Amino acid sequence: MTSPHIRIAVDIGGTFTDLEVTDTASGAAHSLKSPTTPDDPARGLNTAILLAAETHGFALSDIALILHGTTIATNAVLTRNLPSGALITTAGFEDVLEIGRHARTDIYALKGPDRALLIPRRHRFGAPGRIGANGEEVRPLDDTLEVVIEQVAASGVAACAICLINGFANPAHEIAIRDRLAKRCPDMAISCSHEVSPEIREFERTATTVLNALLMPVIARYVTKLRHRLSETGITAPLYLIQSNGGAIALEAAVQAPVKLLLSGPSGGVLAAERLAGQLGLPNVVGVDMGGTSYDVAIIADGVRTVVTQGEIDGLPVRVPMVEMHTIGAGGGSIAFVDPSGRLQVGPRSAGAVPGPVCYGRGGTEPTVTDVNLILGRLDAAAFLGGTFALNLNAARVALDKNVARPLSLEKDRAASGILEVVNAKLAASIKFSLFARGLDPRDFALMSFGGAGGLHACEVAGELGITTVVFPRDPSTFSAHGILQSDILHDASRTEILPLTGESLPALNAMADDLRARGAALLDADAMPDDRRTLTLTADLRYRGQAFELMVLVPDGVADEATLITLRERFEALHRQRFSFDDPKEAVELITLRLVATGHLNDGAAPLAFAARPARPRQTRAVHVDGKWQDIPVLQQDSLTPGSEITGPAVIEQVYTTMLLTGGWTLTVTPTGDLIARHTAGKSQ
Amino acid sequence: MTPDPVLLEIVSAALVSAAEEMSVTVWRTSRSTTVRELLDYSTAVFDANGRNVAQAARMPVHLNSMELCLQHVIAHHIPLEQWNEGDVIVTNDPYCGGQHLPDFIAFKPVFKDGARIAITCVLIHHVDVGGGAAGGYNAHAVEVFQEGLRLPPVRIVRAGEMQDDLFATILQNVREPETFRGDFLSQLAALEVGARAMRRLAERYGTQTLTATGAALLDHAETAMRAALSALPDGTYRAEDFVDGDGLEQGAKRISVALTISGSDIALDFTGTADQAKGPINATLATTTSAVYYAVIAACGVTGTVNAGCYRPITVTAPAGSLVNAAFPAPVSMRMLPGHKIAVAVLRAFAEAIPDRIPASYYGTTFNHAVNIRHADGRRQVYFDSELGGWGAHPERDGPNALAAGFHNGQNTPVEMIEALFPLRFTRYALAPGSGGAGKMRGGLGLVREWEFLADSGLLNTAFDAFDSLPQGLAGGQPGRGGSLSVTRDGVTVPLASKTIGHPLRPGDIVRMETPGGGGHGDPALRDPVAAARDLADGYVIGEPS
Repeated sequence: MTSPHIRIAVDIGGTFTDLEVTDTASGAAHSLKSPTTPDDPARGLNTAILLAAETHGFALSDIALILHGTTIATNAVLTRNLPSGALITTAGFEDVLEIGRHARTDIYALKGPDRALLIPRRHRFGAPGRIGANGEEVRPLDDTLEVVIEQVAASGVAACAICLINGFANPAHEIAIRDRLAKRCPDMAISCSHEVSPEIREFERTATTVLNALLMPVIARYVTKLRHRLSETGITAPLYLIQSNGGAIALEAAVQAPVKLLLSGPSGGVLAAERLAGQLGLPNVVGVDMGGTSYDVAIIADGVRTVVTQGEIDGLPVRVPMVEMHTIGAGGGSIAFVDPSGRLQVGPRSAGAVPGPVCYGRGGTEPTVTDVNLILGRLDAAAFLGGTFALNLNAARVALDKNVARPLSLEKDRAASGILEVVNAKLAASIKFSLFARGLDPRDFALMSFGGAGGLHACEVAGELGITTVVFPRDPSTFSAHGILQSDILHDASRTEILPLTGESLPALNAMADDLRARGAALLDADAMPDDRRTLTLTADLRYRGQAFELMVLVPDGVADEATLITLRERFEALHRQRFSFDDPKEAVELITLRLVATGHLNDGAAPLAFAARPARPRQTRAVHVDGKWQDIPVLQQDSLTPGSEITGPAVIEQVYTTMLLTGGWTLTVTPTGDLIARHTAGKSQ
Repeated sequence: MTPDPVLLEIVSAALVSAAEEMSVTVWRTSRSTTVRELLDYSTAVFDANGRNVAQAARMPVHLNSMELCLQHVIAHHIPLEQWNEGDVIVTNDPYCGGQHLPDFIAFKPVFKDGARIAITCVLIHHVDVGGGAAGGYNAHAVEVFQEGLRLPPVRIVRAGEMQDDLFATILQNVREPETFRGDFLSQLAALEVGARAMRRLAERYGTQTLTATGAALLDHAETAMRAALSALPDGTYRAEDFVDGDGLEQGAKRISVALTISGSDIALDFTGTADQAKGPINATLATTTSAVYYAVIAACGVTGTVNAGCYRPITVTAPAGSLVNAAFPAPVSMRMLPGHKIAVAVLRAFAEAIPDRIPASYYGTTFNHAVNIRHADGRRQVYFDSELGGWGAHPERDGPNALAAGFHNGQNTPVEMIEALFPLRFTRYALAPGSGGAGKMRGGLGLVREWEFLADSGLLNTAFDAFDSLPQGLAGGQPGRGGSLSVTRDGVTVPLASKTIGHPLRPGDIVRMETPGGGGHGDPALRDPVAAARDLADGYVIGEPS
């Protein structure tokens, strides 16, 4: 009997549950897809694992670890499938959740926007007591708290968030209120702001705490089901969920902090991109995931994914660290149409999955980007999804002609290629903008394309940007699951205190750092993580005095002293120069938030997996409209390409779930691991 | 020459990108929190003849006034043929096409092969311009001279050479020269980022194509506007609104507008508007026109591409020397107050023509306030903040509570951040129950903002409005409750005027401000009983005592 040696990553999507299985003993890896069961996703997960065990011949007792990416939390918020909740605030601030930050996005709209209001005003209660800006108690809690507790109890809610003004600076009142409420309502899910997001800015902290409270029952229910399914089947391996920061979290911890699971969907792909970029020796990579309706852009700079300390769901801030991602509404399903003033538009309106593109034959009548790719021969009507799903080319042509070509008096080919030019310009602009905002230049980056629809656009988008290297991962369809397999346990903790970056702040700074390190250690203790698999990393959010926002810099290890302060200031100013093009050596720097990332390493950094090509198949050609004209170009099957071989564009490379287009001027090499790297042979193209 | 429809879209997107890149450059390279947190700046791209072809979405008040300023500069100060390669022309003068002194508008002509192909523009609200009060809001001013440094359109950069003497003169006259300098250099950097983007476009597509595309984009926007206007019933529609007063002289100031739609043209005539005020609540023609453009574009529902083509069907007539076309040297620093009310009046006139698409009036003012703080140790601090109120109800929807509306847009500052930086402790930041105008659809609620002053001494200044001139309802809806300001000392509450100048504060004083709710829409008796019961349960309205 060998020790458990099978690791499984599970990514539950809307349609498929993707599994990536690695045998750490043999190095073998397998991917598997099985249908998602939306009524009870745990059932589909269970079925997929059983199927994998049967297909690849391992016993359930061989499973060492299961890593699980889930959109349960995200979907619950987006579909408002949340329990009723209450909110306790400092009296006089019950409306902070509703007041928000004021700015509107559509400046010319006269009809008010729909605003997410997670807790109605009648369920928002003001508590006595007041904490001051420095954490001092201005007014104590008093007997009137009992009235508030009774009001919450009488409101019949399942969850309650507690967020007091300056609660980040002194949690005593929040703790007292929680203890009182928990005693009175033992079954209620209660979440305190000093635990969820102990940072300054009351609206962001309140919204994040409320989301956490409302998600607690949702995730608790899912975790119970999941445990039940697994134990029923006899799977005893530890299971971790994937958070929006890209790290793993134990089930017990996730139930207390479900807000950390929000927006975790795309993080698997970014983790995989980060890992692959490292293996290929590419420090700067833009990872793009183009699906049916959206185009997600992530940045890997100097080998590391960029993270942000706050994201957004449904217009509400979610203040937890997360992988940075910029999304625009452009994908295979984006609809091309002519607007009333006679201008050609592509997206952001999308045909989505239903009815989908015209060529799917499910009732779509407006031409989409996918239809145009088919019309121009870039997609093969007979080979779509491995030939399992026939596409209706003629219907796509009719729709293009009626909706775009004739209204604009364009030839059909020009209308089709024009739609692609417009959408490619949009994709390129979104990448350029993501980098520009960070002070980075696209020409220093490679483009990595994953997701079903991106392969047909990558070379042309790269060309627009002057990017000369494009990477296509070996198996984009399970790329995200593959990334999840690389996750380590990550715990985030933070403390806010506005301190000048000077010697007199050192005692306070070290006290905060010690507290955070102790908290990180306790969290990893709870994960039973051995000492040699732990890393504690401190970062500081710094700004020039009075600035409106902060930059995050790494804090040197050890006890902070004068030298630490100098290093912090140097790092801050270097980053400030890069992001904002200047620094100000005479201005005081202040610390706002100290952050800890506690890592428990689940990975041994296993070597990249070997790739065995299938026997070469006869080379085919087909007519494709590329580089401005129709040409007969080679059509190759990706799984028949041998490592080391070179392909010169134009050419089409197909695999079951996606198609890649290599345009003229690009040469593609197959790496030993089966990934594809295309380089622009004419050098910098712009 | 009609450009290829594909190229039109690609170049159009690239023009907007150029404006957005300029915008990010300002954000990345500027120094002040006015720019960084309040986002008080705007960027745009013009064609070779000074017609606005692309904007970065920021501040309605700025965006639709830049072309007026540029055309004024060209017509009256520096003819276009004297704009040379490497020049940057800048002005802040309300009487040279600007709005108020803190806004510096800078233009840069872009050349390729010796020919002018575009003009880039960056407007920044600078933190200080000298004059009688820090930040440029001198409530005592009765002439523009008391409001700060006035710069006519001048070449601050000439053939690539910064005019150091001139720049030093400007810096000598402002209170925070280092911040001003940083923000101004960021303005120059952004102009060049836009210029580079335009030269790249000209290289790639050819100057002729670029010119033809710009012209076509304006034509398309005009087509969209004219289509929307043609769908409206012809006729003349009238409306009016009021600004409370200037704080120096008693009495509200009337803004009167006659809106005439004939075919696809629209004319706005402000005859009947009050004479210009003694104090700084006046609007120049640039402010007025900008407010009109905002309101007409919003009412027409044309939001796709906003550029100068949208302006072509619009004519504005404003009597010289009136509140909406102030004559030199009237003071103008609080020009947002009439600006909001001009936009509101125009929208109310539209409501006569298209009653099912226009909401009741929003709060209609910007609640700017400041405290000059003196600490016990002699240290001085200036706390500046801004607040807003509730939207008017739409025929199909209640007005949102406490959200930016109309002529401006902006963000609040967190209470915790204010308390961390200034000697104030908030006692309340909440919706104002009952402030939304009753109606079939209810107006949005205004806000209550209340804080205790903790420092040794302070002086409170406010530039508020809509205390007496209420956000009106429509179609039988009730007006929203007006704003108010008071100070409570030793248990005695004293109401203050909307334009309060230098009211002394002592430790323990409680300052309370309430902002207006929006107007209601439709007869309150027709309100859905379920919605009415919910309003009562949620305390958005105040119930009858039982």
